Amino acid sequence: MSAAADAIASGALNGRVWFYSNYHCNLQCSYCLTESGPRVLRRELPGEVILDRAAEAEALGFTAFGVTGGEPFIRDDMPALVAELGRRRPTVVLSNATLLNERRLRELEPVADLPVHVQISLDHPDPVANDEMRGPENFRKVMEAIPKLVERGIGVRIATTLEDPDAVDPEQRERLCELHRSMGIPDEDHVVRPIVNRGRAATNDLGLLAGFEQLEPELTVTVDGAFYSPFGPTVRGGRLDSDLLVSRATAPLQRPVDALLRIADQLPDGHDASIGIR
Amino acid sequence: MKHRRSVEQHANEDAVSTAAPLVELVMRDQAPLLARRFFGDGPPSPITASLAQVPELLEVALPFIGAALGPGALDARAKELAILRTSALLECRYCVQTHTAVALDCGLSAEEVRVLRGELELDAAFTAERERTMLAWIDAVAAGRGTVDPGLQSRAAEALADHELVELTLTVTATLMLNRYCTALDLPVSAATLARLTEEGF
Ligand code: SF4
Repeated sequence: MSAAADAIASGALNGRVWFYSNYHCNLQCSYCLTESGPRVLRRELPGEVILDRAAEAEALGFTAFGVTGGEPFIRDDMPALVAELGRRRPTVVLSNATLLNERRLRELEPVADLPVHVQISLDHPDPVANDEMRGPENFRKVMEAIPKLVERGIGVRIATTLEDPDAVDPEQRERLCELHRSMGIPDEDHVVRPIVNRGRAATNDLGLLAGFEQLEPELTVTVDGAFYSPFGPTVRGGRLDSDLLVSRATAPLQRPVDALLRIADQLPDGHDASIGIR
Repeated sequence: MKHRRSVEQHANEDAVSTAAPLVELVMRDQAPLLARRFFGDGPPSPITASLAQVPELLEVALPFIGAALGPGALDARAKELAILRTSALLECRYCVQTHTAVALDCGLSAEEVRVLRGELELDAAFTAERERTMLAWIDAVAAGRGTVDPGLQSRAAEALADHELVELTLTVTATLMLNRYCTALDLPVSAATLARLTEEGF
């Protein structure tokens, strides 16, 4: 068993490897960790790099994959990439679901038979409140996309990002849950997570301060290097944060994995990673 | 991919001169996880702050630089002879200014420092045969091409033990690497060092 597999088995390292596919997005949410938007640098991780690192991760004993950005489905090659990842390991792809037109949905159909989930952001049961953070028409587009995925048999999860999940009005939360249940998405596929005070959220003074002590070690591969967590490669003022950078080299994957394991070893006793992206 | 950031945004402005380096100097709040142990309480040196761009290189380069340039079998004075002389020959502004201050701290006289910087003739300050041989060796390694003159090789082998000759040669060659690194990246000298040099008349 590799050192990574041991660490995953003992819970010292999360078994999922994240890929930041790109940084651009059709939206510009007010809490976006990566300051994504239509005109930012794309910083795409090439498809063959994603698949090569995924193959190495599989051999090292990683158990799952995640794809995030930016909006992954802005890329034409994303449906095929997600399907290929899903053939190897259970995969979750984070999406705003507003670019899932008929063509993309058709291209995504092969993942219906695979352990793949599209995790879609939906923050509020009320369209006006939801769109305040995520932009006009977001609620309507998400409401249209989810049933189309579900009817094709594609796994869907809902992610709700809130300033303070503990302070949310129970009635509001129940309405949101009724909404996802009505679309065939069970409670276990609904995650509620706090806004993290990085990227545009930090600029807008939103969210929870999170140092690496609050985050789980989850190997995250980007075009700029490997990071400690998917909350690592955030962008502020157009500049990539490096405080959670593990290594610039990502190949062979063993190199950032070894570095990450050394960092995970230094975590203080009683380390309680309480913040997850999914 | 490069994300330029001005020095003013992230460096302690008191800590660096106004010349903008070519690459972003990583300050403590942005220090990558494996680089953090190399960041002390004060502002990091520009070498540390630039190497932090690539933490896996910083991790091996800084301990190497510390071992190669710090005192070892050769004492701090001998090391500074090698570092300052080599830096002057390579015309590395950063290393000459920084190591002028270090050399003074190590007890070298202002006159000796000026000789090493190439501003005075050798005879003005260095008379001991061992140090004159060391300086000839340093000049030959730092500025020479091809093999070192056999006469000088014999002289050096006589004046220095093998391990001393190895250490002196590595000090010069490690300094050459740093000279080109600091010059190419235009690393800024700390404001404190510049003030000190002005005070000392350099
Ligand atoms: S939070 Fe997601 S959907 Fe919103 S701008 Fe950022 S990447 Fe796009």
